[in-house]
Amino acid sequence: MTVNGVVETARVPAGLTLLEFLRGWLHLTGTKEGCSIGECGACTVLLDGKPVTACLVLAVEADGATVETVEGEATDGELSALQTAFVEAGAVQCGFCTPGMIMAARGLLRRNPDPTDEEIVEAIAGNLCRCTGYEAILRAVCVAAARQRLDAPLTGETVASQSAGGSLGGEAGSKERRFLPRREARRAPRAGGR
Amino acid sequence: MLGSFGYERPSTIDEALTLLAECNPGALVLAGGTDLFVDVRAGRASPRLLVDVKRIDALRRLVVDVEGGVSIGAAVTLNELLENRRVREVLPGLCEAAASIATYPLRNRATAVGNLCNASPAADLAPILLALGASIVVHGDQERTLPLPQFVVGVKRTAMRAHELATRVLVPPPASGLRSTFLKQQRLRGHDLAVASVAGTYDPGTGRMQIAFGSCAPTPVLVAPIEAKGNVAERAGEDVARRVLAAAAPISDVRASADYRRAVLSVLARRVVTNLLEGGSP
Repeated sequence: MTVNGVVETARVPAGLTLLEFLRGWLHLTGTKEGCSIGECGACTVLLDGKPVTACLVLAVEADGATVETVEGEATDGELSALQTAFVEAGAVQCGFCTPGMIMAARGLLRRNPDPTDEEIVEAIAGNLCRCTGYEAILRAVCVAAARQRLDAPLTGETVASQSAGGSLGGEAGSKERRFLPRREARRAPRAGGR
Repeated sequence: MLGSFGYERPSTIDEALTLLAECNPGALVLAGGTDLFVDVRAGRASPRLLVDVKRIDALRRLVVDVEGGVSIGAAVTLNELLENRRVREVLPGLCEAAASIATYPLRNRATAVGNLCNASPAADLAPILLALGASIVVHGDQERTLPLPQFVVGVKRTAMRAHELATRVLVPPPASGLRSTFLKQQRLRGHDLAVASVAGTYDPGTGRMQIAFGSCAPTPVLVAPIEAKGNVAERAGEDVARRVLAAAAPISDVRASADYRRAVLSVLARRVVTNLLEGGSP
């Protein structure tokens, strides 16, 4: 499998989870183990671009796949825009849920660069946080989405991927931006000219 | 480590069947794994061999035919199902039910067929698929197609034999203009099973309304159809709630008491009827 752009080859026992492989074999300990039964989201990683809980995936099931973890976020020691938004918003307290939150948010922003509040809530509904009360995290994702749109002018392709993805009902609902601080809202263009 | 078991990844249905037969008992089918791995970790399942069916091309198929009939392969995930534009057009109620299951990352793994094979009384896809008249195709010594009411036979029990493989769910083409909807009550969105759920379909042409419910009996239950037309439509809510309650046999457990389940079931049944008469899901 390819992990954060690096091809990894290993012979593993069938019972080894992807989570155990990432942490114990590759020493990528950013991904956390919480509940081990897919309830808490601390071990969320991207498997072929889609968020999954790595505790419920066998390492062998990811044979040949592309895996992205929180370690792949920063480039040359510089935090990603998403990570920076988390830091600025105070979305990190004890930090245990953060890698999973970041990866769930990364998955969302990739399939939907202009998520509504409701879509952000839905995307991180599988990630438990016992510190922040979620508000700061929702703000961080909203800010990161707005900045990402500012940095990358929309192409036809992103508009198409946006209307194809997203959760049910998101398209029909009004585009609420309650989580976005006013300062950011002034800067952020609306995707698709809406 | 989840346990010490073997792992095979066949690329055809026949290969999978051979593996299941050779290691019987002890071989279990692995699709999404979101129920199976939880059971393995809790010691409720101890397979000798997991047969991963996700790379069998035939099982990856999600087909909507010209008449609107839908075939859902055993490796199709819930997100693949509910993000399919055609499925959303013809079966909005099914997509609503799929979207209500667990959380986004789990829906990237969990499969529709797996939801049925797990045979939980609280399986969220079961009520709507019952109402839609779905059946399930099972391969083994021979291929057989079982209507859903005959497939789920008890709590966590299906009519499948150990060496058989469920390959797809078939939803017959819906009547033109058929409305469908699904409602469930749960304590916590994404982190809990349903306390009660009700699904229904309604054909405005004939007035036929088909209702099913979950989490309130050992299996999901399909209620006898009613005709909701003209004057009868006004009483349909009452009528359906009465029928649903008559068929329910809820238990008290960690999620809710039997009495609360009955109360919720009655409310959900009326709401489903109202939704259906007013137009169903968007």
